[in-house]
Amino acid sequence: MTQNLSIQNITAHYGTTKVLEDLSLDIAEGELVSLLGASGCGKTTTLRLVAGFLEPTSGTIELGGKDLTRLPAHQRNIGLVFQNYALFPHLSVADNVGFGLKQRGISGEDKAKRVGAMLERVGLAHLADRLPGALSGGQKQRVALARALVIEPPLLMFDEPLSNLDAKLRVDMRVEIRQLQRANGTTSVYVTHDQEEAFSISDRVAIMHAGRIMQLDTPEVLYQRPANAFVARFVGFENLIPMKVVARDGAKVTAEMAGGVKLTLGLEHFGAIPDSFILACRADGLAVTDNVNLEGIPATLGLRTYLGRAYQYQCETGAGLLLANGPLTRPLDIGANAKLVPVPEQCTILAPEAEA
Amino acid sequence: MKRFSGWTLASPATLLVVIFLVLPVLATIATTFMTPAGPFATYTSFFGSGFRRTVLWRTIQISAITTIISLVIGFITAFVVSRAPGWLKSILIIAAVFPLLTGVVVRSFAWLIILGKNGILNSTLLSLGLISEPATMLYTQGAVIVAMVYLFVPLMILTLAGVLESIPDDLIQASASLGARPVATFMQVIFPLAVPGLIVGAVLVFTGSFTAYATPQLLGGEAQMVMGTLMYQQAMVTFDWVSASTIAAIMVVITIAVVLLMTRIARRLNPMAV
Amino acid sequence: MTNKLHPALIAFTVLVFFFLVGPLVIVIGSALSDTTYLTFPPQGLSLRWFENIFQISAFRRTIITSLQIAFLSTFIALLIGIPAAYALNRYRIQLPGWLSTLFILPVLVPELVLGFSILKNVAAQFSAPIFLSLVIGHSLLVLPYVVRVISASLASFDFSIEEAAISLGSPPLKTFFTILLPNVRSGVIAAFILSFITSINDVSISIFMTGPGISTLPIQILAHMEQFFDPTVASVSVLLMALTVAVMAVVERTLGLTFLAK
Repeated sequence: MTQNLSIQNITAHYGTTKVLEDLSLDIAEGELVSLLGASGCGKTTTLRLVAGFLEPTSGTIELGGKDLTRLPAHQRNIGLVFQNYALFPHLSVADNVGFGLKQRGISGEDKAKRVGAMLERVGLAHLADRLPGALSGGQKQRVALARALVIEPPLLMFDEPLSNLDAKLRVDMRVEIRQLQRANGTTSVYVTHDQEEAFSISDRVAIMHAGRIMQLDTPEVLYQRPANAFVARFVGFENLIPMKVVARDGAKVTAEMAGGVKLTLGLEHFGAIPDSFILACRADGLAVTDNVNLEGIPATLGLRTYLGRAYQYQCETGAGLLLANGPLTRPLDIGANAKLVPVPEQCTILAPEAEA
Repeated sequence: MKRFSGWTLASPATLLVVIFLVLPVLATIATTFMTPAGPFATYTSFFGSGFRRTVLWRTIQISAITTIISLVIGFITAFVVSRAPGWLKSILIIAAVFPLLTGVVVRSFAWLIILGKNGILNSTLLSLGLISEPATMLYTQGAVIVAMVYLFVPLMILTLAGVLESIPDDLIQASASLGARPVATFMQVIFPLAVPGLIVGAVLVFTGSFTAYATPQLLGGEAQMVMGTLMYQQAMVTFDWVSASTIAAIMVVITIAVVLLMTRIARRLNPMAV
Repeated sequence: MTNKLHPALIAFTVLVFFFLVGPLVIVIGSALSDTTYLTFPPQGLSLRWFENIFQISAFRRTIITSLQIAFLSTFIALLIGIPAAYALNRYRIQLPGWLSTLFILPVLVPELVLGFSILKNVAAQFSAPIFLSLVIGHSLLVLPYVVRVISASLASFDFSIEEAAISLGSPPLKTFFTILLPNVRSGVIAAFILSFITSINDVSISIFMTGPGISTLPIQILAHMEQFFDPTVASVSVLLMALTVAVMAVVERTLGLTFLAK
């Protein structure tokens, strides 16, 4: 019943503005893939293309091997959950959920049974006769979910479904969505701008920017091994230090950064290191020490902030301002000289950014 | 202090309406019950007259037909307008607003030129050989209805286009995603959500037609006397002000009854107002 | 939306707009005819019927009266309608609910009834001058437009701005003019235009208030039509349409035309 989604070389325009460029995306049966990015990155456009509310300029969309590209929206059989719920205000909760069944010619006993079972599953059986106007945000979202699930679609799509809910409810609802999706094994596309939400709910996440997918991978890989500088910044690598190799000695590589600081990096951690690269790490990946004899980046410490698990310092270095964390046991003062020592396990090597 | 300043600001307008509308209209209605022949004498005489009953019935008929035709034309057109691309929509809205801002005399006059004995319609039909002698079209119920429809269709289009535009695209997309064909989406989502707007439009057109003067006067004349023209005739030609007041009272009662009834129905049908 | 409209719907709409605009085109055409009777398409082109309007003193007089009444009644309606709309929005909780209904009464009560009642119970009863009665009637007629349009623009006005101005030392009355009015400027313009046009075109109230030497333009048009069937009336109609076009152009410049559709 559940099917794989295959998007191949899609290009799309709004008027003359290109909003998607040669985008390809394959989603396996039963997989939940999030499209993550800032507004205007093309994630919602992708969803609307798959739903059939927009036509691509070129490229194909296939669901379970069947070409959908030119099929009208109402023939696509895709469950959609909208940001604003899009519940029919003139229909009761039960009629909203039964709407899709009615279109499929299912009525009477059969329809009532399926609607009842679905409302039971989302915990709203007692509200079946209410109008949507009388429901809370969370309840509305559950109705929307039930309405999309009851037609047993081979593909479910979510368009920022939780962005109108408060923080606590958001966390509860995403667990609920994930559980329902797992239980049904429905292939799903989940559009969001919330990184934590995407990472917590998805099998894989596509990070999008300017109409392209910058990286598509599991949350673990994205978080630890971003493929490029854009994704690295997006997932919170505060320090991106451009470097050039000056010497290679077996498993050790010596590289230099702006300001003439040299670091020795071991190939066992980083694999191959190109002649020109970016050393990327979070503040956690740069350890602050007042032992200036250690090998590291010489720095003058600036503002110190307390993070609970560590102190974070604004550090003035030859390579510019870097963020680094130091132990709670030894708070250091503004103006102190220190060394920033990269922690190899928490650093990664990226290709240099193209000149803008 | 604040209570005082709220009333202070509202009082000039309140006084104007109370002194020059509420009191005079109430006085007009009151005089109909204060005739020497008894409190309801003017009404028994109104409803006792075959001619006047015919006028009342004709007015209701014309208003109802005008309302139904305007609803159908207005709804279909408004639907197309609300789905039209931006630039075209602006042009269509201008084309609807312009007649609306043009006075009722000018718009009725246009139909006088079209429907007259030597009018365009007759001369066109004659030259096409469809009729052999000019048909009488003026001073018929049909002429009044056509001109009234012409009067009220722009209002209906603008009212309903506003209602249709306020239906979120999300709902239409949700309906399509659930498998509803365009016709099903129209019947099950768009139409039910537009019903309150249709009722508002119907009230505007019905009460407007029911109390119209210039259009039935120009296109219906003596032959198609309606409540408005009868009232004017009683007031300004025969100077029978008691009789004119009676007609006025009947018009007020029917108008307000229609408005109250329909707004009640609309409120019941409007799920957004829960 | 990729939903295409059915061709029959489009054809129907084209016909409807032809029906809406066609008769007005016919009026314009007839006004340009060189004949002494009304005809369309025009036979020979001439502007002489436009000259004729100004040669008939009754038209000259009623055009002026209509403009005077329209300006005066619009001005009065704005003067009392803006504070009323402000009070309705600002002091919503303190004022009774029926007050807003009171201000829409003039559209609820049939105009003919209003006109007749003013004639009978104001003009005749207290022998008020006809001109004054016309101004009163028209002020009532346009008041609902002012209150409704200004209320609509006040609905989106954040009254805390006003409080901010007062807290910064601006006196209340000055605040009204420097903070509030500029923010509802478009509403005031729209209210002015709607009121002016409504007044200029009114028949049902004015028809009861004509007297020796005084009448409004639409009433004069009706009277003229009873006696003559020449293109003069078409020419006057074109003048009125030109006025409407001018007004629409002003709206378009200042607010965008879709404003009127609200």
